[in-house]
Amino acid sequence: MTAPAIRFTDLEKSYNGTHALKGVSLDINDGQFFGLLGPNGAGKTTTINILSGLVLKDKGKAEVFGRDTVNEYRFTRSNIGIAAQELPQDWFFPVEKLLFFQAGYYGLTHKTAEPYIEKLLKRLGLASKRNARLRELSGGMKRRYQLAKALVHDPKIVILDEPTAGVDVEFRHDMWKLFKELHNEGKTILLTTHYIEEAEMLCEDVAIIDEGKIIAQGKPNELTKQSEKSGITIQLTGWNESIHNKFNLYTYTFEDNRLHFTVKDPEESLPEIINILSQNGCHIQNIKTDKITLEDVFLSLTGRGIGEESGT
Amino acid sequence: MNWIGMWTLTKREVGRFFSVYRQTVLPGLITTTLYILIFGFTLEKRISEIEGIPYTLFILPGLMMMNTLTNASSNSSSSMLQMKLLQQLPDILTAPLSSFEISMAYIIGGTVRGFVNGVLVLLLGILLVGMPIVSPIQTLGFLLVVSWAFSSMGLFLGQMADSWDELAMMQNFFLTPLSFLGGIFYSIQMLPDWAQTLSFINPIYYMINGIRFTVLGVSDSPPLVSFLMAVGMTLLFTFSAVLLMKSGKKIKS
Repeated sequence: MTAPAIRFTDLEKSYNGTHALKGVSLDINDGQFFGLLGPNGAGKTTTINILSGLVLKDKGKAEVFGRDTVNEYRFTRSNIGIAAQELPQDWFFPVEKLLFFQAGYYGLTHKTAEPYIEKLLKRLGLASKRNARLRELSGGMKRRYQLAKALVHDPKIVILDEPTAGVDVEFRHDMWKLFKELHNEGKTILLTTHYIEEAEMLCEDVAIIDEGKIIAQGKPNELTKQSEKSGITIQLTGWNESIHNKFNLYTYTFEDNRLHFTVKDPEESLPEIINILSQNGCHIQNIKTDKITLEDVFLSLTGRGIGEESGT
Repeated sequence: MNWIGMWTLTKREVGRFFSVYRQTVLPGLITTTLYILIFGFTLEKRISEIEGIPYTLFILPGLMMMNTLTNASSNSSSSMLQMKLLQQLPDILTAPLSSFEISMAYIIGGTVRGFVNGVLVLLLGILLVGMPIVSPIQTLGFLLVVSWAFSSMGLFLGQMADSWDELAMMQNFFLTPLSFLGGIFYSIQMLPDWAQTLSFINPIYYMINGIRFTVLGVSDSPPLVSFLMAVGMTLLFTFSAVLLMKSGKKIKS
């Protein structure tokens, strides 16, 4: 049996007394598009940073194609490309030069890297920015540069850490298209995100991590099938904080004038919800009941929205 | 060994300081020119020769050494801190480079800057005041060893530092005072006994006198002691910097 592309076994990590990872175990197979979902502070970045060597684990094991990331770091790191969440800055060198440096760190000569970097610059829409400094790039272009940097040594595994954080919708869709292409080319992709839509759209398998533990894992449609609940989404105006108390018995999130409930029976709950909103001066603009999403799964498992901070 | 990786990071380190030569190369030359002008045309007439050497010539090797060691240490320390603060360090730490290879690249980068600055001051001395050099090969060799020592020290400090303030403190409160007190402008024989004794515990005193011996053939400290001191510091700081890098302290979580 071949080893999985990535294997985490009982990973544990504490920072300054905070138990950030409490025994994370995961297998990600070769060629899989895998999503690690969780709110900010849940342990997603810590998990992938242990894989890349940026974080020193306290316990457990991280492996790439069956090889240990500590003892055989040259092999494991050569097979991984990371598009980090934090956008880098550089005052000294232009984009193209930085990509050549990055390729060099992975043991590629200028001559070997040149055709691939040229291809990458064109593919990622960075060709016109090759001589620009990073500070001259927009947030979206910096994200593209991050991806180019991750791909510069043509790794088998690509780790995308919140790759579309803070970008507009159009750009996000462009990036999704690119991620799909990379997956179709046979790359194993590990995506961490707190955008549910992103995970549902792209991932074959997902794991939900919260407070340093994997609380659910499977194919998105399997996870949603396991739940017997449904979602109600209400677009409204006039919301105020005092209404929170009226919905103590419900599991819901509120964001951008959008109220989302996870309920067992929409027909039973909806009249009461509408009643409470009307009595409290809210104007309902649109109501939608829909099949359960990963957001509902997360909500029903943790009692919190994925956009909220983790309890760790 | 990932030779290409190490070479690439070294090229980056050297390219980084050359790309801002107005900050990293020219200031030392301007300062030294000013010293030569001030001491050569004004004060030298009022200060008698030291150990039979005109005052301007006497101070030049010390200025060369100060320029060398401050540039060598500030290159690796500031580059390391900058990479930490600008989120560039993960690019290197997640690449298949060992702690040794990363350390060597930073140290070589700082050594090149220290050496280049030292040699430029040397050339300036030859050009402006016709400074004679007793042992050119030994001068260059000693400059290289000291550059390496202080570049390693800079890398160690850069890893430990969390802010520019901490680095500036090191420069302003330790390196510069120790350089001035190491005998750039005087022979320690001009000092009272207690101050002479204090000079012996200042490592920069040995660096300044070592280079003065190779350039002018005079020195307060025995040349062999200066040489051994430079080699000792090189080994101590190189091992410390590599071991600190390997431990991941302050650069990994």
